[in-house]
Amino acid sequence: MTAPSPLPRARRHRRSPLPAALGVLALVALTAFIAFGNLGRSLEYFVTPTEYLQQRAEFEGRPLRIGGLVKAVRYDPQTLELKFNVTDGGATFPVEYRGAVSDLFKENQGVVVRGEFQGNTFHATELVVKHSEEYHVPQTQAELKDLLRQSE
Amino acid sequence: MLNLISFEASALGALGQLSLLGALALTLGGTWLAALGGFRADPRATEAARRATWAVFALVSLGTLVLMVALLRDDFSVRYVAEHSMRASPTWVKVTSLWGALEGSILLWTWLLSGYAFLLSLTLRRDALRPWALGAMFVSLLFFVGVCATVASPFTPLAQLPADGRGPNPALQNHWMMAVHPVLLYLGFVGLSVPFAYAVAALITGRLSDHWVVVTRRWTLTAWAFLTAAIVAGGWWSYETLGWGGYWAWDPVENASFIPWLLATAFLHSVQIQERRGLMRSWNVWLIVLAYASTVLGTFLNRSGIVQSVHAFAGGPVGPVFLGFLAFLLVLGIGLAAWRAPLLRDEADPPAPVSREGAFLAGNWLFLVFAVMVLIGTLFPTFVEALQGRRDTSVGPAFYNAFAIPLGLGLLLLMGLGPLLPWRRADGQSLWRALRPLLLAGLGVALVAFLLGVRAWGVLGTVALAAYNLAGLGLLTARAARQRGGDVFGLMREQPRRYGAYLAHAGLVVMALGIAFSGAYRQDAQVTLNVGAAPVRLLNETLALQGTRQDTKPYGNSAVARVLIDGQPFEARLNTYVQGGNTSFPAPAVRYGLLGDTYLVVTAFDPQGRWASVRLIESPLVSWIWWGTLIVVLGAGLTLLPPRRAPTRVPSVRTAPATD
Repeated sequence: MTAPSPLPRARRHRRSPLPAALGVLALVALTAFIAFGNLGRSLEYFVTPTEYLQQRAEFEGRPLRIGGLVKAVRYDPQTLELKFNVTDGGATFPVEYRGAVSDLFKENQGVVVRGEFQGNTFHATELVVKHSEEYHVPQTQAELKDLLRQSE
Repeated sequence: MLNLISFEASALGALGQLSLLGALALTLGGTWLAALGGFRADPRATEAARRATWAVFALVSLGTLVLMVALLRDDFSVRYVAEHSMRASPTWVKVTSLWGALEGSILLWTWLLSGYAFLLSLTLRRDALRPWALGAMFVSLLFFVGVCATVASPFTPLAQLPADGRGPNPALQNHWMMAVHPVLLYLGFVGLSVPFAYAVAALITGRLSDHWVVVTRRWTLTAWAFLTAAIVAGGWWSYETLGWGGYWAWDPVENASFIPWLLATAFLHSVQIQERRGLMRSWNVWLIVLAYASTVLGTFLNRSGIVQSVHAFAGGPVGPVFLGFLAFLLVLGIGLAAWRAPLLRDEADPPAPVSREGAFLAGNWLFLVFAVMVLIGTLFPTFVEALQGRRDTSVGPAFYNAFAIPLGLGLLLLMGLGPLLPWRRADGQSLWRALRPLLLAGLGVALVAFLLGVRAWGVLGTVALAAYNLAGLGLLTARAARQRGGDVFGLMREQPRRYGAYLAHAGLVVMALGIAFSGAYRQDAQVTLNVGAAPVRLLNETLALQGTRQDTKPYGNSAVARVLIDGQPFEARLNTYVQGGNTSFPAPAVRYGLLGDTYLVVTAFDPQGRWASVRLIESPLVSWIWWGTLIVVLGAGLTLLPPRRAPTRVPSVRTAPATD
C-alpha cells in the first residue's frame, strides 16, 4: 500500500521508477538467495568411485549419482534386495538398493546410481539407465570407458 | 558443401528437397517484398508478400506430404525414413515418426509456421502494420525453412539403399499420446510467432496504439491453449509410459516448454491492462519478445544436447544455429524496444496497487520470477560444468519445489483477487466486503481438511485457496445471473471473454488440487508376486498374480502380467522393441478413479513366467489434472467466441478504434 501522493494527479507525467526498481531488486535478491543457498545444497553431482574417495568430505551425505561398472551382483527377486559393488577400476564401493532390476542388470555392465553414501555403503534410491540420445541402447562398456576417460 | 540432392538415388527425396529449396527461395523473395512494402509503403509489394506466404505454405506442405508418403511407403531411399522408420512398424507409428526425430520435428515446426503465416496473411488488416508483420513472419520462416532445407534436411541422399530402416525411437512407440503431444506443443510454440510478428511491426512503425494488442490477444490465447494442452499431454504421456507414476520431473525440456507458458500467461493478463487502460506498453512488447525467444531457447536446449535430459537429441550442427537465431531474436527485440522507448511511455499513471490491473501486474511479476527461477535451475548444471568442470550435475526437484509451491500459491491468491477488483482503483471498504465470503470459504474448507488429517502446509494452502477461488468465481457469476433472471448460459453468450476466463480459472484450481494431492500423498511400494501363491497385502490392497504371457509382434515383444488387485483385473506389460535391444519400456495398467488412481507397473519378469516383480503406486486426485486441463482449454475456447448480444437490451455501440 502506498500513501496517496500529495501532488495533484494530472501533474505527474514522469512514471515513478520506484515500483519497477523495487521489483527488480526483489527479483535479484530472491535469485541470489536461492542460487547461493538452496541451489548449492540441492545440486546432485555425478561422481566416479575414485572421485568420491578423493573428495569424501565434500560429498558424504549429499545426494549423488555415482557411475561405474557393476561387480559381484547379489539379487533376490523374491525380497527385491539388490547388493552389488560399483567400481571404476580405481576404487570400489558397495551399493544397496531395494527394488526390482531387469535382466539387463549384469556383471561388468555400466551403471549410474542415484542415492547417497552412508558410511562406506551407497544407499541407492534409483538405478539410472543411461540411454544414448536416440534411446538406442548404449554400448555401455564403451560409453562408460568414455565417461571414465573424461574424468581422469 | 552439403550434398543436398540427388535424382538418381531417390525420386521422392529429390522432390521433397526441391520443394524445400523452392520454399526457401520464395521465403527470401517474400522477405524482400515485405521489406519493400514496408520501406516504400508500396501496397503492391505488400500484396505480393502476402501471396508469397501462400506459396511458401503450399511448398512446405508438399515437402511434409512427401516425407509422410515416403514414411508410409517405406521408401528407404529417403534418409530420414531409413534412419527413423522400418517396414514392420504399425501405420500410426510410421505417421508419428514424422516428428519422432530431429529433422522431421523441425520440418513439422516449419510447416506449422508456414501455416500460421498463411492464416495471418488472411486476417491482416490493410494498415501500416501489414508489411512489417509479414516481414517478421518471413524472418522466422527464413530461419526455419533454411535449417530445414540445409543443415537439418530429412531428404539428403544416402550413400547406399538399406534393405530396412533402422526403426523408430522405441520410447515413441509406446503410447498414442506421442501422436498428439509434439503436434500440440509446436502449435503452441509456433503460435507465439504471430504476436511476436505483430509486436515487431508495431515497434517498427511506431504505431504502438492498442490495435495490435487487441489482435494479438486472440492469437496468444490460441497458442496458449495449445501450449497448456501440450504440456499436460506430455505429463500424461510420462505418467502412462515411463512407469514411475509421476507426470512432471522438472526435466530440462519440460522446463523449456514451461517457461514460454509462464511468459505467455503473464502476457495474456498484462495485455488486458493495455487494452483497457493503455498502460504497460513497453512491458507487453518485452514480454512477447521474451516469450517467443524462450520457445526458441527451449528448442535449442532440446536439440543441442547442452543439458542432460530424456528429450535431448544429438542435433549435430543444429544447436549453434538455434543459438544464433535466439541471439538474433533477442537483439532484434531489445534493439527495437530500446529504439522506440520514447514512444513506449505510458501516458497515464502506473496502475494503482489495489485495482484489477494492480493484481494483474503483481501476478505478472510472480510469473516472471517463476520463469527466471525455472530458467536458472535448467541452465545451472551447464554453468557448473563450464565453471567447475563437473559433468552431469543435476538440480533436483527439491530446488524447484522450494519456489514453485509458494509462487503457485501466490498466483492462486491473486487469481481469486483479480476478478473481484474493479479497473482503475478499488476502495478498501468494498474490497473487504467482497473478500470476506471468499476468505471465510477458504478458512472453513482448510479447517475441515485439517480436521480430516491433511497436515502438509502446501496442500492446506492449496485447498484453502481453491475454495476461496471457487467461492469468488461462483459469487460473481451468481450475482450477474441474478440480475439477468438466472440465465447463466445467456451470460456466457453475452460475455464469453469474462466467463471463459472464469472457466479457465476454475480449471486451473482443479488442476492445482490434483497437483497438490498427488504430489503430497502419493504412495509407492514394490513386491514380487508368484503365480499361484497366496495374495500379498500392499498399500491396503490385495495383489495376486494370475499368470503371465508373451505377445510377440514383428516390431517387438510384450511380456504381460495379469494381476488381481482387490479382485479387479489389471494387465500390465513390459514392452521390448526391436531397435531397443534389451531395454524394456513398461506399459503400466492404470485404473483411473475420481479420487485416485491405482497404477501397476511390472518391473521384472521371471523368464519361465513363475513370478513377476511389480510396483504399485496409489496417487490421489491425479485425474483432476487432466480434467482440469480440459476445463482450462474449454474456457480458453469460450473466450475466443464472439459475444452475442441479448435481444432484450439496447446494444451498446462500441466505436472501432483508429489504427494509428
